[in-house]
Amino acid sequence: MTTANTDLTAADYPLSVNRPDLLHTPTGKTLDDLTMDAVVAGDITAEDLRISPDTLKLQGQLAAAAGRRQLADNFTRASEMTAIPDAEVLDMYNSLRPNASSAAQLEELASRLENTYSATTCAALVREAAQVYAARNLLAEEA
Amino acid sequence: MTAVEPRSDSTVRTSKRTEILEARPVNLDGFVEEWPEKGLVAMESDFDPQPSVRVEDGRIVELDGRTRDQFDFMDTFIADHAIDVDTCEAAMATESVEIARMIVDPRTSRADVVALGRGLTPAKILDVVKLMNVVEIMMGIQKTRSRRTPANQAHSTSAKDNPIQVAADAAEGAVRGFAELETTLGVVRYAPLVAIGLQVGGQVGRGGTLTQCALEEATELDLGMRGITAYAETISIYGTESVFVDGDDTPWSKAFLASAYASRGIKMRFTSGTGSEVQMGNAEGRSMLYLEIRCILMAKGAGVQGLQNGSISCIGVPGAVPGGIRAVAAENLVASWMDLECASGNDQSFSHSPMRRTSRLLPQMLPGTDFVCSGYSAVPNKDNMFAGSNLETDDYDDWNVIQRDMQVDGGLRHVREDVILQVRNKAARAMQALFAELDLPAITDEEVEAATYANSSDDYPDRDVLADLEGARSVMDRGITGIDLVRVLERAGFGDVAENYLKVLRQRVSGDLLQTAAVLDAGFVPRAAINDANDYAGPGTGYRLTGERWEELKKLRHVTSAENPEEEVV
Repeated sequence: MTTANTDLTAADYPLSVNRPDLLHTPTGKTLDDLTMDAVVAGDITAEDLRISPDTLKLQGQLAAAAGRRQLADNFTRASEMTAIPDAEVLDMYNSLRPNASSAAQLEELASRLENTYSATTCAALVREAAQVYAARNLLAEEA
Repeated sequence: MTAVEPRSDSTVRTSKRTEILEARPVNLDGFVEEWPEKGLVAMESDFDPQPSVRVEDGRIVELDGRTRDQFDFMDTFIADHAIDVDTCEAAMATESVEIARMIVDPRTSRADVVALGRGLTPAKILDVVKLMNVVEIMMGIQKTRSRRTPANQAHSTSAKDNPIQVAADAAEGAVRGFAELETTLGVVRYAPLVAIGLQVGGQVGRGGTLTQCALEEATELDLGMRGITAYAETISIYGTESVFVDGDDTPWSKAFLASAYASRGIKMRFTSGTGSEVQMGNAEGRSMLYLEIRCILMAKGAGVQGLQNGSISCIGVPGAVPGGIRAVAAENLVASWMDLECASGNDQSFSHSPMRRTSRLLPQMLPGTDFVCSGYSAVPNKDNMFAGSNLETDDYDDWNVIQRDMQVDGGLRHVREDVILQVRNKAARAMQALFAELDLPAITDEEVEAATYANSSDDYPDRDVLADLEGARSVMDRGITGIDLVRVLERAGFGDVAENYLKVLRQRVSGDLLQTAAVLDAGFVPRAAINDANDYAGPGTGYRLTGERWEELKKLRHVTSAENPEEEVV
């Protein structure tokens, strides 16, 4: 994508006003395509109102430019998660709850994030959790 | 030991004055002595750790007197995610009193104190704010809050979970100025209908209000993903590992959840507050504010844009101990200083005393916060399903007068009766049309009429609850989304409401509302701590209540005309 090389600054925010040219839905529509006429015609579905991974990367640039490193990291993880279906995201969250997963299950989750969804920063967060849970006795018993 | 007799001893004659004082509402409030060993202490405890930090090989290996092998998971998360390793040793070497003065001194910029704050540990931050009195804390909030323009948030709920009431009160709240509207339920299964009422009412009152429905994490996320709500807030975090685990979460699960929301383009903030750990029985002998600072740093480390804090539902706990309300203001300061959006409490019934309710409010209202109340009750407190707020509908005129007296913007305004009746009526009619189109249990003309003129849920005809719950289930089963609601509203002749709703949904594609402290203004322009960054630098700078907005806030229900004292200004 062309957006990858864009270095955004505070002046670009809000993107919906100042840089709509950079925005598209995961289904390839622009903001201008999301009109009431299109809604009434049934041409817009809930899928068309989702954020794209590229947009999250752009917002990450804006957060980093504002000195908000952790917020930018959050947007990086979010960008990776856009590929994961809603129900699976919820399942993954539930398996990160205390005493919900064994070390092997968390490693399996990390691998799935990495291999199925190329979600490497999410996988790193899960592996980090697994280490801490082991040290703090928050892992489920091995099945 | 006390030198006076207990007040229950009726054999002792008391003065007339004492009788009057005994009858004052403030004496119905609960006050307790401090018990630092159990964490029942606001912010000054000998049992809190001393500040320290040590870095080895680019990693924090000691934090506030604990070495890495002694870390609990909060220490680990904060050391690895929140604190800036490159700057922490220099930042920690700065005298606490110097840092406290930098926060107050307008000649030190917000950017500089925020940058310094990135390198501080929880105990050091506590050490700094302990040096500040409540006026200095307010000075700090004025400078460090992230968004330049203050705003306010409302609760719109119903004791009967009546979606028409929620819609009408949301519409009134929106037209009065609330930027965000929050609801929750008595009967959780009612959630889809009530959340729809909140969204529709909000878009009638003032296009661009953001709505949320407070539920357990998974359901809240589901409603958000469907586009029925616009943001989320009830993502609770705690300052001790044991209480965090009791809440069935960890900093890693919550950080994952934060990213999950962002991945759907949904704004989200965490919630925490002083007193929650001691109330849940495991403060591990730390002061309330020390534990809350750990929460604030955990939230920052997770990369969530903001935090609802200021004791929130636990306000009775800090409210009962000496200096507790000062500590509550201090936690708002720390959230702001750590560069997070702060929705600053004032959202829970707190005192029987009107004077005390007001004094508890001023440390947030006077300096201004991102959301002065994280839940001003836009329904009478008896309809407030968050167990009542510090402010409610009866207080609207008092609030507006305080804004005008102090020339302070608390986010609300006086609105003429005809405008309020019009938006309430329209919200109810929009719901009537929407329910008809979706084959949900009918809303009668009598209900619309009631919604237009009502105060509380008592003023509405009762609904068939079982039929409504069946309807609520069908909304979920049919997979109805925000876009379906937009289509139905348009088809039913509420094109402007549909257009407003669609514009809110479109925001998710841009992700603009994910940035720190973002709200939508009346023109649907996102305003966040980027394009509306707080630039306070002393007198004459920062947000000033002037111009058109000040003229708006000069209006009250009754203001005598200068030209003709027999008339009131309309």
